Amino acid sequence: MKKQSAWLLASLAALIMVGCAGQKEPAEKALASAQSALANIHDTAQKYAPDQLQAVETQLAGVKDSLAKGDYKGVLAAAPALGTAISGLKDTADAKQKDTEAAASQAKDAWGPLSTDTPNMVAAIQSRVDILSKSHHLPAGVTKDGLAAAKSGLDAMKAGWTDASNAAASGDFTTAVGKAQAIKAQAADIMKSLGMSAS
Amino acid sequence: MADDKTPPAANNPYTQTHVVVAGDTLSKIAQKYYGDPALYTKIFQANRDVLSDPNKISPGQKLRIP
Repeated sequence: MKKQSAWLLASLAALIMVGCAGQKEPAEKALASAQSALANIHDTAQKYAPDQLQAVETQLAGVKDSLAKGDYKGVLAAAPALGTAISGLKDTADAKQKDTEAAASQAKDAWGPLSTDTPNMVAAIQSRVDILSKSHHLPAGVTKDGLAAAKSGLDAMKAGWTDASNAAASGDFTTAVGKAQAIKAQAADIMKSLGMSAS
Repeated sequence: MADDKTPPAANNPYTQTHVVVAGDTLSKIAQKYYGDPALYTKIFQANRDVLSDPNKISPGQKLRIP
C-alpha cells in the first residue's frame, strides 16, 4: 500500500511537472508579446497618457513576478487582461496625440493674424501714449491714472510679445497664441481707456 | 514691436480715424482726441498723404488719428 501511494504521488508530481512545463513556453511567449507591444507604444504613452501607462506597467510587473515564481497558469490567465490594457493604452495615447496635434495645427493657423494684429495694436497704443504724454490736458474720458496704466501696460505687453514670439519661433504655437491673445485683450482694454474706439 | 517713437504705419488698421465734418479744424480734432489743440501737428503729419495744408480740410475726409 505504501509503495502504491508513493508511486501515485510520484506519478502525480510528474504529471504536474509535465503540465507546468507545458505552460511555461506559452507563458513566456505571452509575456514577451505583452512587453513588445508595450515597448512599441511606450514613448507615445509616456507623453500623452502617463498615468494609464503607469497602471499598465504595474500590471505587467505583476505578470513578470508570476512568471518568475513559476506560476505559468497565472501568467496565462492574466495575459488577456494585460493585452486589453495595453490595447486600451494605445487607443488613449493615439487619441490624445491626435487631439494635441489638431490643437497645435489650429494654433499655428491662429498665429498668422495674431502675429500682425497684436504688434499693430501695441504700436497704435504706443503712438497715442506718446502724444498724450505731451498734452497739457487730457481729452474727455481719459484720466491720468488711465494714461499711467496704459504706459505700464505697454511695457508688460512688449515683454509678453517677446515671449509669444520666442514660443512661435520654437514651434510652440499653442503657447504663442495663448500669450498673444492675452496681450490683444489687454490692448483692447487700454485702447478703450484711451478713447481709441472708432469714431 | 514698434519703437517708442515710431508712428503707427499708415496701413495700421488699429490707428483711430476721424471723418471730418463741417466746422472741423485740425485744432478742434486735436482738442477732441488729445485734449490739447496745439497737438494738431501730430494729426497733420500722420495725414500728409491727403493733406497739404493743415488749414485745409474738407468734410468727408477720413483722417488718421495717431
